[in-house]
Amino acid sequence: MRGVEVSQMYSVLVCDDSLVARKQVAKCLPQDWPVSVHFARHGEEALDLLQQGKGDLLLLDLNMPVLDGYETLKAIREFGFPTRTIVISGDIQPAALERVTSLGAIDFIHKPVRPDALQEALKRHGIFSPQSSSEETDCSELDPKVRDCYQEIANIAMGQAGDHLARIMNVFVQLPIPNVNLIEVSEMHMMLTDIDSHERVSAVCQGFVGPGIRGEALCILSDSSFDDVAKIFNVQQDVDDQVQLELLMDAASILIGTCLEGLAQQMDVKFSQGHPVVLGQHQAITEITSVTSKRWRKTLAIEISYGLEGYDVHCDLIMLFTEDSMATMNAKLAHLLEE
Amino acid sequence: MSQDDAGELQTFHWMMDMLQSVDVGIVVLDRDYRIRIWNGFMESHSGRLPSMVRGKTLFELFPDINAAWFSQKAKPVFELKTRAFMTWEQRPYLFKFHNYRPITGSEPFMYQNITLAPLVSSTGNVDFISMMIYDMTDVATGKKQLEALQVWQTEEQERVSRV
Repeated sequence: MRGVEVSQMYSVLVCDDSLVARKQVAKCLPQDWPVSVHFARHGEEALDLLQQGKGDLLLLDLNMPVLDGYETLKAIREFGFPTRTIVISGDIQPAALERVTSLGAIDFIHKPVRPDALQEALKRHGIFSPQSSSEETDCSELDPKVRDCYQEIANIAMGQAGDHLARIMNVFVQLPIPNVNLIEVSEMHMMLTDIDSHERVSAVCQGFVGPGIRGEALCILSDSSFDDVAKIFNVQQDVDDQVQLELLMDAASILIGTCLEGLAQQMDVKFSQGHPVVLGQHQAITEITSVTSKRWRKTLAIEISYGLEGYDVHCDLIMLFTEDSMATMNAKLAHLLEE
Repeated sequence: MSQDDAGELQTFHWMMDMLQSVDVGIVVLDRDYRIRIWNGFMESHSGRLPSMVRGKTLFELFPDINAAWFSQKAKPVFELKTRAFMTWEQRPYLFKFHNYRPITGSEPFMYQNITLAPLVSSTGNVDFISMMIYDMTDVATGKKQLEALQVWQTEEQERVSRV
């Protein structure tokens, strides 16, 4: 049965705590490269998959909960896994580059990853060379200056939100760098179906609208977080479905509210907020995106992954803005966009 | 200022704040249908600031609204001091606003219920009316889905009985 072994597909393992970043990286892999792609949310999951023989190539983020990129690299060396690792990170300090190469990473790509940068790296290390020069496809058409600006305001808003959380709940909030991307309907669909199929998460969405700017906030909480969230909110009774829903709504209100307030302040607008809606698990998700896909193609997504130190709480906050909101946002942020 | 006055001022301030932030559209119109009050909901959804709309008539700001038709609805409110209602089933919307949930919502625009109510002055006359705009999108979407399902079910039953 040698044939089976030979034909076993090259495995690429993408390890990042951000849902959007995982999808983004997977999307940037060369189109004509027949590989199987696996995902891990942090180093420990990645090590599990490596143990199973997955991940001939590991695309690794550095800032992650549970087990970060550096620790993961160390563990890979200790166990002697035969994987080759390319680090993909927003941390652009030279020290980070030095540290990861000394820990065995073969290359370092800056976040947000672009298809040409990834292909270049794959070629450089003889992992994969495209047959023909494929046309340039950009992961995102977002002007880097505009992206930086959105990232900056998201950073400030997130910091304020984190500060509020820390004060209210008396916890230390870990703040990663927010991900800013233009995502397409198909990716949105993938993201939502991911929420749907993963029984381990619950999600709430809430619409918001201000003059010329509208969008939705999506708050996704992993189900494993609920016990700890209950502790933080001082809930004494058993955490059943009803209590879970309540905790989700409470957490979502605080996160969405503070983040939105931070964004509104910086853009000098006021947002009205609709009633939050629990994203259903059965029909809703596929139906949602199949209908809406006629109306919009791209949406601006600002994704923030919150973690709480000392607790097993993982929460993604995704602020989605309609494409037509960006003109108003850019006008409101013109003072930041100018040199 | 006495304690009571200060308290009343505070209450008034709260009321204004609530009118501004309540998730219902609130508009005050005079007899010429000129806009006198335009709350936060209307500002957010229409993208027009109160300063841009105040003193202008409803019909010059929103040419889609038929003046004769609207006046007919409003007339009894001014004359008889009764309320007037327009539901989303009659007409889906008066103001074409986007769906509150632009990404995951399935309808492109906001379904609206409208209530017109008289504002009676101290002399007993009605010189101003208030208009309240309620977002009915979720109800409308649910009802449309249910109806589609019922139609499908009936067709399916017919198909089965024919076989």
